[in-house]
Amino acid sequence: MAIAIGTLQDKLTSNEVIARARARAALIPDLLVEAQHIANTVTSGWHGRKRRGSGDTFWQFRPYDQSEGLSRIDWRKSARDDSIYVRDQEWESAHTAWVWADSSPSMLYKSDSSDVSKQSRALVLALAMTEVLAKSGERVGWPGVTNALSHRNACERIAAQLMVSDTNDASLPLADQMRIRSEAVVFSDFLQPIEDTLEWINALSQRGVHGSIVQIIDPAEESFPFAGRTEFKDPETNRKFTFGRAETVAQDYRNLFAARKEELATQCRKLGWNYLTHHTDTLASTALVSLHMKLTGEAGIALT
Amino acid sequence: MTLGALTFGAPLLLIGLLALPIIWLLLRLTPPKPREEVFPPTRILEELGQREETPAKSPWWLTLLRLLMAAFVIFALSEPVWNAAEKSVTGSGPMLIVLDDGWTGGEDWNVRQDTARRVLNEAGSAGRPVALVFTSQGAKADLSAKRVEEWTAGLNAAQPNPIPVVLAPLAENLRTSAVSFETIVWLSGGLKSNDHEAFKTTLEAMTSSELQVYSPQSNPVALSNTRNSPEALTVDISRASSTNISDGIVTAYDSKGRSISSAPFKFDTSTLTTNAEFKLPVELRNEVVRLEVDNGSTAAGVQLLDERFRRRRVGLISGGNADQQQPLLSPLYYISRALEPFSELREASADNNIDAIKQLINERMATLVLADIGQLPTEAVEELEKWVNNGGMLIRFAGPRLARGDDGQLVPVTLRRGGRSLGGTLTWGEAQPLSSFENNSPFKGLEVPSDVTVSRQVLAEPDIDLAGKTWASLKDGTPLVTASQRGAGWIVLFHVTADASWSNLPLSGAFVDMLRRLVAVSNNVVASDQAREAVDEQVNEVQTLAPFQSLNGFGKLASPPSDARGLTVTNGKTPLVTKENPPGLYGAEDAFVAMNLFSTSPALDRITAADLPAQAVQLTYKTEDPMPFKPWLLGAALLLLALDCIAVLWMAGALKLGASRMAKTLGGLALAALLLQPESVIAQEKKDSFNFEHALRTRLAYVKTGISSLDEVSRKGMIGLTQFISSRTSLEPGEPVGLDISKDELSFYPLLYWPISASSPVPNQATMARINNFMKKGGSVLFDTRDQISGGFGSSRITAETQKLRQILSTLDIPALEPVPNNHVLTRAFYLLNVFPGRYLEGKLWVEASQSSENETDRPARPGDGVSSILITSNDFASAWATEPDGRSSFTIVPANPRQRVYAYRTGVNIVMYTLTGNYKSDQVHIPALLERLGQ
Repeated sequence: MAIAIGTLQDKLTSNEVIARARARAALIPDLLVEAQHIANTVTSGWHGRKRRGSGDTFWQFRPYDQSEGLSRIDWRKSARDDSIYVRDQEWESAHTAWVWADSSPSMLYKSDSSDVSKQSRALVLALAMTEVLAKSGERVGWPGVTNALSHRNACERIAAQLMVSDTNDASLPLADQMRIRSEAVVFSDFLQPIEDTLEWINALSQRGVHGSIVQIIDPAEESFPFAGRTEFKDPETNRKFTFGRAETVAQDYRNLFAARKEELATQCRKLGWNYLTHHTDTLASTALVSLHMKLTGEAGIALT
Repeated sequence: MTLGALTFGAPLLLIGLLALPIIWLLLRLTPPKPREEVFPPTRILEELGQREETPAKSPWWLTLLRLLMAAFVIFALSEPVWNAAEKSVTGSGPMLIVLDDGWTGGEDWNVRQDTARRVLNEAGSAGRPVALVFTSQGAKADLSAKRVEEWTAGLNAAQPNPIPVVLAPLAENLRTSAVSFETIVWLSGGLKSNDHEAFKTTLEAMTSSELQVYSPQSNPVALSNTRNSPEALTVDISRASSTNISDGIVTAYDSKGRSISSAPFKFDTSTLTTNAEFKLPVELRNEVVRLEVDNGSTAAGVQLLDERFRRRRVGLISGGNADQQQPLLSPLYYISRALEPFSELREASADNNIDAIKQLINERMATLVLADIGQLPTEAVEELEKWVNNGGMLIRFAGPRLARGDDGQLVPVTLRRGGRSLGGTLTWGEAQPLSSFENNSPFKGLEVPSDVTVSRQVLAEPDIDLAGKTWASLKDGTPLVTASQRGAGWIVLFHVTADASWSNLPLSGAFVDMLRRLVAVSNNVVASDQAREAVDEQVNEVQTLAPFQSLNGFGKLASPPSDARGLTVTNGKTPLVTKENPPGLYGAEDAFVAMNLFSTSPALDRITAADLPAQAVQLTYKTEDPMPFKPWLLGAALLLLALDCIAVLWMAGALKLGASRMAKTLGGLALAALLLQPESVIAQEKKDSFNFEHALRTRLAYVKTGISSLDEVSRKGMIGLTQFISSRTSLEPGEPVGLDISKDELSFYPLLYWPISASSPVPNQATMARINNFMKKGGSVLFDTRDQISGGFGSSRITAETQKLRQILSTLDIPALEPVPNNHVLTRAFYLLNVFPGRYLEGKLWVEASQSSENETDRPARPGDGVSSILITSNDFASAWATEPDGRSSFTIVPANPRQRVYAYRTGVNIVMYTLTGNYKSDQVHIPALLERLGQ
């Protein structure tokens, strides 16, 4: 019988993926999220708050105030003249990012023009993002699996948690852990009904969460290379749908798919979210780099 | 059911064809099974909605393919047969089948047999009694009508006979037995026999209600009347009247069945006979035992040749027996040399002439040559006369003895006593050249040689019939060769000797031609009767010869059939060919008589309507076999099925994918080939130039071990030695070469220096096989373990290098070794040496042990036949020889004794000389003795 173009792949676990994720993360420079509104938390991070506070970076010398402890006096500076100075550091705080990758059955799809399934690619990208963010000193969490962790090896921890946790097959992450001014980075194919996705985006946005969504697309899903009598099967609902001559609907399908993408992109733009698409036949690192640029704000320059 | 030549075995099944439209509908309606695809965005597709639910139709050609397939199967099942045998005879009474099994049957026997079988079967299914008669059975034929089954076995076993058809006995049989048949089927051979009329009247008299005569459309050809003239072997070829055969080829075969020559023949449009000529040299012609028409399969297409056509035996008798010591003075020498190529020569072993003549005559010589025999005893003369009268050819040569006197018998002309000399110092006349060969002689047409002169001859008395007896004459008109016929034989006289003393005729090519012609004449004139005579010697006049080999009905020579009888030969005449005396060879293996189907051209007339009774129906044999179509149709259906599978796969896209991949792969391969090709050509050219350059000059060679420092030492060492050799000896070797022994051609290098390193790998098996071959073919390998300082080869300590050498040598075929003995050639090949130092002094040089070391110790130099293929040292020669480009030595000597380096070089020279000159040097020890013997 004819050989199908696409197949469902086995689900990959996080420990298989983490090495690949690290390899890709190593390609990305330390990520500093350009946060417009950094949560006013005391947790130290590397985002300068343009005011004095606890941190490592020099902020200013200022005259000693009697109320302050003697230990705060900068003796080297004070020795230069008659005044006594105190060295202030810039207040640095960490950003909270929630990274999530879809692992629902539809993500297991792989067509023969790409090498990996969407799930594999999404997990790699998510863990790579985690690694990058954690290295930058951000607090990183995986909604539904971990809390926001502020640790250099947050990536491993999340990966370990993912291993043991019973990851549900939800197509969208739970929103309840995400607070105002945290960042949500979601990797999914967003093939669920578009209304659900929009609703989820709006809900998060109303809570003050800023999001970056990356739509993982298998090339076959976009180009629709089918012809002849073909029976299509939805891996999530297991519903079957037969076309006598698949080639006749190809153009309509492509239009519809593009329209969905456009709708998603429009909504994201409206809310100031980042929207990226990634095809599984391209390199994972390209997605990582463009996501990196979006998060650091450079993409904004590129877009205008 | 029959449609033209097409017959259906099961025509009812053709109704199945009506089902084709239904199949068509089904094929058009049933959709192909959909391809299953997992597709996550199926929801999006669902949004597109259900459209075009009617499936893709099979393309029309696929439907057509499947319909054809179905049609083929239906047709196949209905068992169509092309050219099916049809019923031909009617009636229900007894039936007579006359089957012609004469020689023409060889051509179409299967057809005749099949037709007979078919007619029999028809009779069988109609329940008619049948009588089956073969024409060769004649009077013995069983004419009683029986059940069909009783004839089948006989029919199946029947074979054509290589005999002419004789119908008279059968006609007589039919007439006398007075049985009546309702149907008569005559399966004739198509040709009229000599007694055809008798059979025709018999058939007319039998008044059967149905007479069918089958005639074949074959084109029989008959060979006959083979004759061997001096010019050619000729055979007559006859064809049947109103036939379309116009030309062909006759091939001559030798006794081992190899074809010797082929001769084409061509019939004029009007004639029925022609001939083919084999213009072969006599010696080749003598080899011919069989002539056969190409593609013929009848006994008539074969002519067997017997002793009559064979190479003749020639007996030689010379007058002078003492001449044997110096063959060039013996007259028989020239005769033998001239006759040997094409005849079998016999010299009598008996001492006196009478016994010799008797012996040779008993050995059935066709030709006797008497060289310079004068007076013969009466008894011998009588024997010879009898023999000549019986057909022998007696060739005599003149000579002093004949000139002294003959008895006037056994010479063709009366001779004058004495003889005459021409062109001598005391004679007036010039030496006479040869003038002409007479037209009535066998020498007719031979070129008259201009360089033959006769200085002495015997002269014939002038006689009235001298001119008629002269076959060749000199310029002054005197005869050179005379001949006269005696009975069936000839006496030929050469008026000169058979040696070169009287004339230079025996030295010329004409002599060979003349003798050849004479023997050829004896071949076809004399030998036949003579051979018969010989065979008939014991029984007077009549003799019975056992069949030796017979031709079968298909013209193949085989052991005689069981009913073959002995051949009664009366006065040399063979009887007619009958079933008991089939054509073939009769007699014993080396004395047989060939009997052929036709000895004279036969008249091959076809049976026409006029030759048959009025009620006869003329039919032709069906040469085409009925051809059932079933397997072909089924095969075609299977083929279509395969096509259908491929088409379905292709439509499903599986093939397209494979094809594109395949195309990519092929393209890649082609590209790679294109890219690689020029490079490989260049490489090839390079390799060639390398080889030639290295073959042109002697060079020292070393083995590249792969360790660059070691190879550099070897290279420098070889350069140093090359320079030393060039300055001290006449040998000037070329630039040394380093060889990769796994690849490079080794055969140009007499000596291979192979330094052993503990760290270099042992070469693989193929490489060692090359080395082994190199050593076997005369190359020498000098292994240097370079480890004398830490023990050395041959000592009790095993160093790493020695270990490595042992590993290398374990794969080689190494003879026993010994240290160079004091008297070995190596010690004196160029310099006199007793040690073989290199960088180190102590190590011994090991060579192949000499075979005879114990018993020849007293010899000054060991023979050493051939050069030792292996030399082993541990003294590190190359380091001692190595020189820098500026002339300095590369390494110091251990111990630092400059003389040792000189000795090291001398050792190198000796080794090179030894490998180049071999035992030539060992033979030098004999020079004083040789000079002494030369009287210097």
